[in-house]
Formats: sequence, structure tokens, C-alpha cells
Amino acid sequence: MPVKELHSGIYELDIDDRKILATKNMIPGTSVYGERLISDDGIEYRQWDPCRSKLGAMVLRNFDIPLDADSTVLYLGAASGTTVSHISDILMDGLIYAVEFSPRTMRDLIQLCDQRPNIIPILADANKPQSYAHIVEKVDMIFQDVAQPNQAEIAAINSKYFLEEHGHLMLSIKSRSIDTVASPKKIFKEEVRKLESGFDIEFEVLERKELDPFHEDHLGLVAQIFVDEED
Amino acid sequence: MLRSGGSELTITEFTAWFGKLKLDSQGEVQDCDLFDGNPEKLAELVVELQENSQAVPLKRTDLRDAAIECSFVELDEDYDVLLREVCIRAAKSQISRTDSDDSRIIQAVEALDDIDKNVNELSERLFEWYGRYFPELEMTGEELAGFVSAYGSRTNIPEGHELFEKASKSMGAELSFADEELLRAFANNICSLYDTRRYIENYINNSMGSVAPNLCEIAGASLGARLMSMAGSLEKLAAFPSSTVQVIGANRALFKHLRSKAPSPKHGIIFNNPVIKNAPWWQRGKLSRALASKISLAARTDFYSGELDQSIKDSLDKKLESIRQANPNPPKKKPHGKGGKRKSGGKNRSKKSGGKR
Ligand SMILES: C[S@@+](CC[C@H](N)C(=O)[O-])C[C@H]1O[C@@H](n2cnc3c(N)ncnc32)[C@H](O)[C@@H]1O
Repeated sequence: MPVKELHSGIYELDIDDRKILATKNMIPGTSVYGERLISDDGIEYRQWDPCRSKLGAMVLRNFDIPLDADSTVLYLGAASGTTVSHISDILMDGLIYAVEFSPRTMRDLIQLCDQRPNIIPILADANKPQSYAHIVEKVDMIFQDVAQPNQAEIAAINSKYFLEEHGHLMLSIKSRSIDTVASPKKIFKEEVRKLESGFDIEFEVLERKELDPFHEDHLGLVAQIFVDEED
Repeated sequence: MLRSGGSELTITEFTAWFGKLKLDSQGEVQDCDLFDGNPEKLAELVVELQENSQAVPLKRTDLRDAAIECSFVELDEDYDVLLREVCIRAAKSQISRTDSDDSRIIQAVEALDDIDKNVNELSERLFEWYGRYFPELEMTGEELAGFVSAYGSRTNIPEGHELFEKASKSMGAELSFADEELLRAFANNICSLYDTRRYIENYINNSMGSVAPNLCEIAGASLGARLMSMAGSLEKLAAFPSSTVQVIGANRALFKHLRSKAPSPKHGIIFNNPVIKNAPWWQRGKLSRALASKISLAARTDFYSGELDQSIKDSLDKKLESIRQANPNPPKKKPHGKGGKRKSGGKNRSKKSGGKR
């Protein structure tokens, strides 16, 4: 079976001419959310459904994914861990701090953490980074998928506290959680503007694309903290 | 940033999960007061700190570096292992305080039933609608929806496809582009409902084990969830006498919940359990009484202790086996033939209606 590594730890399998996105299963034999397990050459892969994961969709929309086997990631809005589980596969020598504020979903997330050594669960509100600053170290990447009206602000304050100087912010912006009627394009523009100059921390947006057809009315975005050369 | 002239010694305090740090204005550690390394105690501290958020200096040392520098741990890996254990404990204790509920499973069970009802209606609509354009297609339900969503008009079926012949000779009307798009979108929605249905089922199967491990073990995830849903909560189910558990679901008013898997209305939904469904008819009454009594016990154990108790399952298995041994052959008369009416068995039995989903 032809296997292509799209990014570090992210694979495209070719099964009967169908391309399947996948990661190497860290815990062979277990499926996390009902996804397919595929074995090849003694390696087990887990299918990664881009319709269930913004990050998966971003991979297929050809974003440059700033993740390596030894990255440290802060994941905001981890839910029950669908995407987190794939990042966990990717980060063989890394660590994910997974923040989620719904106790109900946290329950499922903990089950995942019990199995996987590289996920640290944090039940907290991403609006209050002070409430987990005693736990989280500086990270290489912040991934955020919280579907909240103040998504940009949440990203900004968390970056301020936790993002390494040259680290990356990956953001999924859902237009409908900001405004249900306004045009998504307009909303996205405004959110990008906020990130670029709306807060006391400024970002440089490196890449932005909508995530259709996998997710309607979602924008994916990669940014870095903007550093003024003469400081 | 303020830099007070000369005096570099503006010290801020910051408490990390492993100890109290004194930081200078550059965020470097000047002094540290380490906590005891016991994970349970650290977890308590972590929760406490989370609830009373402290002021956090933006310029602060990297936590990992500080922990190693202050010799709280020796290696990176030690840091990861301990922090993970502490955070898992902390999150578990936070959850157990806020949420121990079965209500999300009940919501999921009810959502399943809503989906079933809707998906059946929508599938029938699609069948009728698409039937005008390709009446020879013998598909229904998810298969049909998948087909329409994939191909739209039958003229899109490629040569070599097993239905190509049928499609080209079809007597169906032609499908205009606008109608085709509409039908596809409609079919797409049906497909995603089927997907969601599987997703929810999966969810129920995965979460029953933590919410009601014993019930899950004895009744199975799906039946256990349905019993909780019909009783209203795990607590109520635990409070029912086992004779009630045996007939939960026989009630007509509750019955609408079951639409898809309706058992004979004389019996409760525990008749859906394979132990009973697959047993010969003359054993079913006794088996279901035994099962109901263990289900009650399981629900109580889940509600009061929450720990899996293997002995319930063992004693159920023993009981079931002894019933089977004691009743190997059908009795002479049908057990619930009423009054004087003597019918030789099998009246209601032979009607096995249509296929399972
Ligand atoms: C769209 S879901 C995330 C799905 C997940 N990223 C995945 O792909 O598997 C959004 C999640 O963010 C959580 N969330 C929303 N607001 C939050 C906040 N302020 N702090 C932490 N989590 C939040 C919600 O509870 C929900 O589970």
C-alpha cells in the first residue's frame, strides 16, 4: 500500500485509489472515536476524518502544519479528544496540554489521557489562562477550536501567556458562533484584523483558508507573534 | 515594561504546580520553595490554585526549566510523568464534584430515537421522490441515500458499474440539473443522519462503561442506556423493584421510544437482550426474571458505589445456566395460554416480521 508522509507524523494512505488521511496509532488495536484502523507492513494507522477534525481539514487544505514529533502543544477546546488523539499520535516525543471546560466532555478526554502518556488534561476555561498558568509551560504551538464569540481574544491572551516567541498559533474560526447572519467572509476579515492589530499582542497571519467542504463557514488560520525588529 | 532605576530586586511571587517561586523582574527564579512530590497532594493544590487564580507575571521562567533547576525532578521525562498524573487526578476530582450524571446518556438515547423517526420519514420521501427518475433501482434507506448522494442522476453512473445497464434502460423521467442538486443535497443530509446515528451509538457504548459499569456489563450498553432513559435516571432505575425492571418498556406510552426495536408488548425491553431473545420460548420467562433481578442489583451497585463488581455477572451466569439445565424441553402446554383456551403452541410465534436494520 502506498504511504506518503505529508508532514511529520501525518500520512496519506492510498487504498484502492482512495486517499485516506491517517496517523500512526500510538496504542495499536484501539480506535478512539470509531475511526478505521489500517495495518500495513506491521504498522497500524488510524484513519483521520477531516470532517470530524478542523486540523485534519487543514492538512487536506494544504496548510503547512507546524508540528514535529517533539513539539509541545496547548490545545484549547479539546472536547472528547478526537483531534487531540491524532496530535498525540504525531507527537511521539512531545506533550499536549488539552484544555476543555465542559466537565461532561472532559470525562471522555480523561479516558483518552489514561491510555496515552503524552496528553495532560486540564478542566478550565480558556478565557482564564491565569487559572492554568501554574501548569502549562511555554509551548511551540497553540491550537484553538473553541467555537466561541470571542475566539480571537482567547487566542491572543493564551498566546501572550504561553506561546514561545517563534511558536505558531493555529486557529479554527467558526463564523456562526460570532454572528449567525452576517456573511462569513466579512466576519473572517474582521477576526483577522483583530489578530493583526486588535490586541496588545499582534500576530502575523501566515496562512488562511476556509475549511470547506469539510467544515462549512469555518476559517483555518496559522499565525505567529509579530516581533518588531527594533525593540 | 517598567524598569525601576537601579534596584533590580523587584521580586514577584508565583506559585507553580510544584512549588512557590520567587521571580526577579526578568522572570528568573531567585528562590523556590518546593512542594512535597506526592501526586495526590499536588493534585489538591493544583485544583485549589485553579479556583483562586493568582496574578501571573508575564515575564516568568519556563516552568519545566525551573522545576529541573530547583531539583524538583531530575529529567524532562520525570516532569511529564508526574505532571500528567497530577493533572489526571485533579481533573477527575473536579469532574466528580460537578458531574456524575447519567443524563447525557439519556439525552443520547432519546436523540437516537428522534433520529430513527426522522430518518425513516426522510428515507421514505427520498424513495418516492427519486423513484420517479429511476424506478428500477431497488434500494432503500442508507444505501439509497448514499447512492443518490454519490451519483445524482442515473445518467452519471459510469460504464462498467453494475447498475449501468439498468440505468440506461430505465423508464424513469429525466432529472434536470436543479432537481438533481436538490435531491443530492437532500440525500446528503440523510447520509449524515445515519452517520450521526452511528456516532451516537458509539458514544453510548463508550460512555456507559464509565457511567454505569455494572449495568453495562449485565444488560449491555445499549439496553442499559435504554433502561435508564425509560426509568428517567440511574437513581430511579436503582430504586425500582426488579419486577418493575422486567416490564419497563411494556407500557404503551413509553413504547413510542422503542419504535425501531419493538419487542412484543407483553414484555419489557429486557427481552431485547440476546440471553432472552435467543432462548427457547419456554425458558424466557424464567430467564428474564433472573436477568431483571441482576439488572436491579447492577443499577444499585452503580448508583451507590460506582465500581465494577464482577460477582454480579458470575452469579447471573450461574443462575442462567441452572435455568437452562432445569428446563431443557418445552412443557406440554403453552405457559400463557389463557383460561380454557387450548391452542397448540405457535400461534404468535411464527410471525417473524421483516429484516433487522
Ligand atoms: C468544536 S468543539 C472542539 C472539537 C475538537 N477540537 C476536536 O476536533 O476534536 C469546541 C469545544 O470547545 C469547548 N470550549 C468552548 N469554550 C471554551 C472555553 N472558553 N474554554 C475551554 N473550552 C471551551 C467546548 O466545550 C467544546 O468541547
